[in-house]
Amino acid sequence: MGRRNRSWLAVGVGTLGLALVASGCSSSSSDAGAGDGTSSEGGGSGEKITLTVATFNEFGYEGLIDEYMQLNPNITVEQKKAATSNEARDNLNTRLAAGSGLSDIEAIEVDWLPELMQYSDKFVDLSSPDVEGRWLDWKTAQATTPDGMLMGYGTDIGPEAVCYRSDLFAAAGLPTDRDEVATMLGDTWDSYFAAGKEFMAKSDVPWFDSPGAIYQAMINQVQNAYENNDGTPIPLADNTEARKVYDSVLQASVTDGLSAPLSQWSEDWTNAFQNDGFATMLCPGWMLGVIEGNAAGVTGWDIADVFPGGGGNWGGSFLTVPTQSAHPDEAKALAAWLTAPEQQIKAFKDKGTFPSQVDALSSPDLLSVTNPFFNDAPTGQILANRAAAVTVAPFKGPNYFAINTLVQDAITRVAVDQTDDANSSWDKALTGFQELGL
Amino acid sequence: MSTVKKQTSLPAIQQTAGRGAARSAARRRGSAGYGAERRPRWVTYTILGLVLAVSAYPIYFAVLLASSDAVTIAQNPIPSLIPGPDLFANLSRVLNSDIQFWTAFANSLIIATITALSVVVFSTLAGFSFSKLSFRGRGPLLVFVIATMAVPTQLGVVPLFILMSRLGWVGQLQAVIVPGMVTAFGVFWMTQYLESALPFELVEAARIDGCSLIRAFWHVALPAARPAATMLGLFTFVASWTNFFWPFIVLGSSNPTLPVAVQLLQASYFKDYSLIMAGVVAATIPLVVLFVFAGRQLVSGIMQGAVKG
Amino acid sequence: MATSASTQPVARGASGAGAPVGGGRRQPRPRAGKLDMKLSPYLFISPFFILFFIVGLFPLAYTAFVSLHDWGLIAGQGDFVGLQNYLDVLTQPRFLTALRNTFSIFVLSSVPQVIAAIAIAAVLDQNIRAKTFWRMGVLLPYVVAPVAVSLIFSKIFADQSGLINELLGNIGIEPIRWHADPLSSHVAIATMVNFRWTGYNTLIFLAAMQAIPRDVYEAAIIDGAGRARTFFSVTIPMLRPTVIFVIVTSTIGGLQIFDEPRLFDQLGQGGADRQWMTLTMYLYELGWGPQKSFGRASAVAWILFLIIVIVGVINFSITRRIAAAGPTKGGKR
Repeated sequence: MGRRNRSWLAVGVGTLGLALVASGCSSSSSDAGAGDGTSSEGGGSGEKITLTVATFNEFGYEGLIDEYMQLNPNITVEQKKAATSNEARDNLNTRLAAGSGLSDIEAIEVDWLPELMQYSDKFVDLSSPDVEGRWLDWKTAQATTPDGMLMGYGTDIGPEAVCYRSDLFAAAGLPTDRDEVATMLGDTWDSYFAAGKEFMAKSDVPWFDSPGAIYQAMINQVQNAYENNDGTPIPLADNTEARKVYDSVLQASVTDGLSAPLSQWSEDWTNAFQNDGFATMLCPGWMLGVIEGNAAGVTGWDIADVFPGGGGNWGGSFLTVPTQSAHPDEAKALAAWLTAPEQQIKAFKDKGTFPSQVDALSSPDLLSVTNPFFNDAPTGQILANRAAAVTVAPFKGPNYFAINTLVQDAITRVAVDQTDDANSSWDKALTGFQELGL
Repeated sequence: MSTVKKQTSLPAIQQTAGRGAARSAARRRGSAGYGAERRPRWVTYTILGLVLAVSAYPIYFAVLLASSDAVTIAQNPIPSLIPGPDLFANLSRVLNSDIQFWTAFANSLIIATITALSVVVFSTLAGFSFSKLSFRGRGPLLVFVIATMAVPTQLGVVPLFILMSRLGWVGQLQAVIVPGMVTAFGVFWMTQYLESALPFELVEAARIDGCSLIRAFWHVALPAARPAATMLGLFTFVASWTNFFWPFIVLGSSNPTLPVAVQLLQASYFKDYSLIMAGVVAATIPLVVLFVFAGRQLVSGIMQGAVKG
Repeated sequence: MATSASTQPVARGASGAGAPVGGGRRQPRPRAGKLDMKLSPYLFISPFFILFFIVGLFPLAYTAFVSLHDWGLIAGQGDFVGLQNYLDVLTQPRFLTALRNTFSIFVLSSVPQVIAAIAIAAVLDQNIRAKTFWRMGVLLPYVVAPVAVSLIFSKIFADQSGLINELLGNIGIEPIRWHADPLSSHVAIATMVNFRWTGYNTLIFLAAMQAIPRDVYEAAIIDGAGRARTFFSVTIPMLRPTVIFVIVTSTIGGLQIFDEPRLFDQLGQGGADRQWMTLTMYLYELGWGPQKSFGRASAVAWILFLIIVIVGVINFSITRRIAAAGPTKGGKR
């Protein structure tokens, strides 16, 4: 027994040594291009360089990257993906904090911009006459700092329309044709809620899926929701505009009972698609795939070319070039190429990312798209119309999302968790505002 | 006359005929308790079956979803009790996707193996010292080691990342291996195990016979530590294999470990759980294989401790 | 207890097998060299400490330094503010909520876990068939990826369409509001934690139980003790070091619970009223959330450290007294 005991350890230590050597070898072979794009001998043209592009979710860049490498034989492009936008954000923040490790191109979401703009000195100014007027005005405005620096090139957007269940409408005696529905819903929040009351007079099914979604859409149409144009926050206790929106959302959701008591993306919300959980929802382009997946087997979904309050956008991304990059000029060129209308259309065809480029929005490839799950609706045309209808570019400063979360939590407490009433929940939000110490 | 034969109780036997007689009586009766003689009743197996059913359910659940398809999953929030037909189809989707499954598998294997071996070796060395040797500062150092377990790891990410970039290790396996090579838990575990499992007389005896301390360690401490060391190795291997956050931050998708690669299957707005769960199954299979091998080692190693002269 | 066949004949001068050895830490005669005895301990622990100082201590010192400054995650180092971060954190209502949640989840998870682990280990300790199978089986929950575990539990604990509430509805009981009600959320999260870690602790107890010499049990049986009495009067006292170990590590781990509450809903903040946000989640929100205050997050980390040390010491002394038992004669020391 004594001798056998020793041999297992000898094997162990030997393996340890061998493995350490092996890892040294394997990591050097996987070293090619990994890291932060510093593997060039010189940045001039003709020298081989490697660019890294960090994306998340599905940008549809796989084919485009191959194409770019063929057009530019001296450049190798590597894509680094994160599965979700939250993971990508953690990665970005950690590497910004550490001062190294970022890719040459970092994709970001529009919601991160208010915060990142505080650190605009860590990003390259991408303004250039070549890209003037390429994107919708409000899209460019989202990425432009008060000093006029362009932090990112726009990729996709999330223009919103209203998706509805025509079968439930029919059962309640409401019109089901797309255009008639659009007229009935009208383009104000009051008309949308009124249609809801009419529907619920004859049906048990809630009108919309989540009070949080309605609040988000409504507050997005307010020019200065939580901050003044110079970035100073409006004390929440004095913020009558936000309080007004808060009250009308709760009035419609709880008092008038138009909302299902759900939080978007929760398990209950996902299951509600299969149980006639709600009759309408506000849907950006990228939500169509989600509805189709969650509501598999449910017939009757359709989409109307209308949005209360005129126009709405939810989401959208940009490509930025951090100053950490070793090849900012080449990175800028690659970003400009990837976000050109022609390329974005290809990405759209591959992964459905809705273009933000003006030329792309009038391309026949886009306008001819229909969606069989949504009753063969011309979704390309509808979403292009909705994109053009967006008028308000709300001001979002560095504290926007912190304050917004406070109000969203307040709404959830009242309408979903039902642990508070409207006033006590608002008071809790005020306490939370104090805690932020702004 | 009563024909019921009453057994004399063991304490009574011990009193009248002595301890040895009592012991042989006990063995004959098969009531010597927890030794090799007694087989437990069906109640035991029922309890064990229940425990196993609950423990194994998540893996079974993953297999259920992985063998189904997105439409069926969406329509049935609570999955059926038997697997569907698509398990191998979904597994091959995982292997054929662009998540670099095999690279990730190799990386995870290298990292977990090295980490487990190194933790076991260093922890046993340190545990031996803390438990059996006296040297200045022993007490405070041990407390210090245990106390460091109390500091949350989330914060360490940024300074550790800074350290890794200074060393040029971002994107390379060393960045995950080296921070994992020693753990306070390992040292604490081996210290307390050797404390009670290794009599100092054995060490003393080896030293008297002329062994240097390192030879004493090799010949005496290691064999005694084997059950705990095997256990520690197993735990460390599994923890390393399933670790997500740090490998994600420092290695990312270009040189991924298995959890990072499999996570990429979630990269879409609508999550296809048949594919995601197939990835989970694929990432768990190697561990189950390890269990089969390590299990035998573990059982024999543990049984070693049960032999008593 | 394995004896190494390669060493001793009857040890000269040192104790034989039956004689009690007091304390057990006597230095042997200087035959093997005083220097060896003095230096070797430090050599043995140095690999651990060298690596640890580099990759463990540097982050610790860094965060202590950060906690004394007004430090933004991306903005970087600001002014020195001394203990201001600590004061700020301690006076925020959310900190107290996180503290309450952390303790509640900790108690709900650790206590059942340790009891269940000892019980299951006792069952596994017997001479069952197919030992490997049953013993490795209990570790299965530990190996499953978080995404699978969180999906299962969200299907079980969903407020409206979850499995438990459906079953309760079938027998006419009111649904439990797993996500709205603080205590219910704690129970659900503690269940997830227990599920993951009970098997782990079971194996730790099993290893210790199997190291208990069998003749101690024989003696107890011969003295007339029944199974239960043997368990409480013999097994548990002999497991005392292991019980202490498990209690201490469970305390440390239990007060730092992060993954399970984070995955309990899709937003990961701990609920609209922060009803299940733990201290480590609070730390993460301060550092990576909208405030991006690395200084405050570090302050929370060190406050948590202090709490863990205090609670750890309390638990340690309680456990030492409850399970107090004298060493058996001729046993290991």
